[in-house]
Amino acid sequence: MMNNAALTDLIIKMADDELIQGHRNSEWTGLGPVMEEDIAFSSMAQDKIGHAWALYRILHEDLGGKHPDTFAFLRPEKEFKSSHLVEMPNGEYDFSLMRHFLFDLAEAIRYESLQDSSYEPFRLLSKKVKGELKYHTLHANAWIMQLSRAGEESYDRMQQALNQTIALAAGIFEPSQHYEEALIDDKVYPGEKELYHRWLDRIYPVLVKASLNLPEMSAIVPVYGGRHGLHTPHLQPLLKEMSEVFNLDAEASW
Amino acid sequence: MYGGGYIFDEPNRNQLREEQQHDEPEKLAAFEERIAKGEKIEPGDWMPVEYRRQLIRLIEQHAHSEIIGALPEGTWITRAPGFKRKLALIAKVQDEIGHGQLLYNAAETLGKSREAMINDLLSGKSKYSNVFNYPAETWADVAVIGFLIDAAAIVNQVANAKGSYGPYCRALERICYEESFHLKQGHDAFIELATGTPAQKEMLQDALNRWWQPIMHFFGPPDKSSSHSEKLMQWKVKMASNDDMRNQFLESYVPKIWELGLTLPDPALRKNAETGRWEYTDPDWDEFFRVINGGGPCNMERLQVRKWAEEKGRWVRKALMKPTEKRVLPVA
Amino acid sequence: MSNDSLDPRVNRLKLGPAGEVVKVEEGENWNIYEVFHQEKRGAHHEHVGCVHAPDPQLALVFAKEQFARRKKCVNLWVVKSADILAFDVEDEDMFANNMEKTYRDASGFKVMEKINKFKQSK
Repeated sequence: MMNNAALTDLIIKMADDELIQGHRNSEWTGLGPVMEEDIAFSSMAQDKIGHAWALYRILHEDLGGKHPDTFAFLRPEKEFKSSHLVEMPNGEYDFSLMRHFLFDLAEAIRYESLQDSSYEPFRLLSKKVKGELKYHTLHANAWIMQLSRAGEESYDRMQQALNQTIALAAGIFEPSQHYEEALIDDKVYPGEKELYHRWLDRIYPVLVKASLNLPEMSAIVPVYGGRHGLHTPHLQPLLKEMSEVFNLDAEASW
Repeated sequence: MYGGGYIFDEPNRNQLREEQQHDEPEKLAAFEERIAKGEKIEPGDWMPVEYRRQLIRLIEQHAHSEIIGALPEGTWITRAPGFKRKLALIAKVQDEIGHGQLLYNAAETLGKSREAMINDLLSGKSKYSNVFNYPAETWADVAVIGFLIDAAAIVNQVANAKGSYGPYCRALERICYEESFHLKQGHDAFIELATGTPAQKEMLQDALNRWWQPIMHFFGPPDKSSSHSEKLMQWKVKMASNDDMRNQFLESYVPKIWELGLTLPDPALRKNAETGRWEYTDPDWDEFFRVINGGGPCNMERLQVRKWAEEKGRWVRKALMKPTEKRVLPVA
Repeated sequence: MSNDSLDPRVNRLKLGPAGEVVKVEEGENWNIYEVFHQEKRGAHHEHVGCVHAPDPQLALVFAKEQFARRKKCVNLWVVKSADILAFDVEDEDMFANNMEKTYRDASGFKVMEKINKFKQSK
């Protein structure tokens, strides 16, 4: 018998991250640095929102949760479990790309781990998104490598973006206050601590090839809080904007 | 998205005479014969200077219209209600950028670089479809744009896809395929509002009232007032007259609007049973020219936003530039 | 910082002043790569268009989303436009007589006629 409360908590934090990150990335659609990249980045924003939708559907269909639209568009801020990394405004393209790199590699190792999950909907979903995530990481790695090797200004920007995002990204792996052990024991997933180490192993070789300096990870303090409803000041306005039309009449069909 | 609002560039008489000296009569005859037979012209082919010039202008304006057209709809990207609408709108705006990409490539085969075209857009030298200089005030505007502006664009693009220049036709073939998705999702959002709550319906009617004139403008000035360019019709650069396209649009879409119980802000709008053609009040054509020349509600913002995007993306592009690498224009 | 736009995204940007001169440099949109699309295994790769990219790696990354985000696709090729060698259009006449060389064509050989003639002569 699965622990439904634990599963629900895990699904919400994964889905909220995907939704908010996808929403942020979609702000670049039509405004990217070059048309070809605009198109690629927009596709990946759509993929993320699509992953969020799929996860909310699992909640709705399998765990008695609300309808995905209602759940995503009408929930109060304090019930969101997104990490601070994804809530941050887009900044310039260096920040957005570095966040994309750190987030998508984290997403990739998380879904990889779900291929062996005891929870069937996770196994099915991880299989479905595998190809998409392969493209996302290919795209992210290519950009990080190229821009870090393309002259001083570009290198400095990427290093600075890494410095700005690394503690926030480590915050993705904030362990659940109540459910971590249950999820690991039930073999739903390997737990945040384990994913964090796998993630470091995954980003490190890329950063080395790009000659970027990964800060001493034992010295940085991961930015936690999002998983239990403590958010940056950026989330509330984002949610208000996202649900502006939906809120005109939450009962209506749009 | 693009309409027939293309304003043909009247060539400078002296310049044209000089250019025509390079247009050798036998080659011109062979070129025109090829077009008359329905064959396509390809990038390496001999072509009259004036054909090249008008095509670059046409395709470039079309390309600009796509990337500027991404902005009014982009206004609602972060606010689209519900997952389906949110994803469909992002995908649609993305397609507009994709269409811009295809069209700039097609124009580049004629010898003008993408950079030069972007510069002409930013400086205001080159135009784009007027319709995008109007604001998208409410969510219903997204439905009206997605349904009716895309429908109007399809009328024009399907006609242009039968034109004489190979690369433009190929780009349009792909574009028309994607526009059918736009039209469908626009129509779906439109019907949702039209059949929804009284407030939703009111919102849609209001958007329709505001967009009607820009839509009537979309196909360009009436045939009687636009300088007829028989040559461009003969060369299959321009494929249908503005009035014919407008009529075709009205024929297909006015009934679809009326059947939903919506009204259009033109009491004279009706189909003449005898002629089979639609009659309507002429929209304000002075306004059309005022907006083309920069006087529309959003002209300034549209260009400022495009400039922002170019400015902010510059370091990315410059970092990876390889100025010494051999570079040629697209081959097809 | 508000630009007074109806687009909240735009209101978050720091737009330059109206009439600001912004120019892109020639070559800033990188080099041009032709894209070839394979719809299914066993099919030819067909030319579908081109992308601007700084190198083959990113050309492929870009081509994937611009040319294979909807339709069926199993693989893509990219090649720099500058590396494509083609005949001049004026050389089209080299191909003109292809159709007349019936000795290269199955229909050019009237086997049955000969067999029938042989049978009749028996």
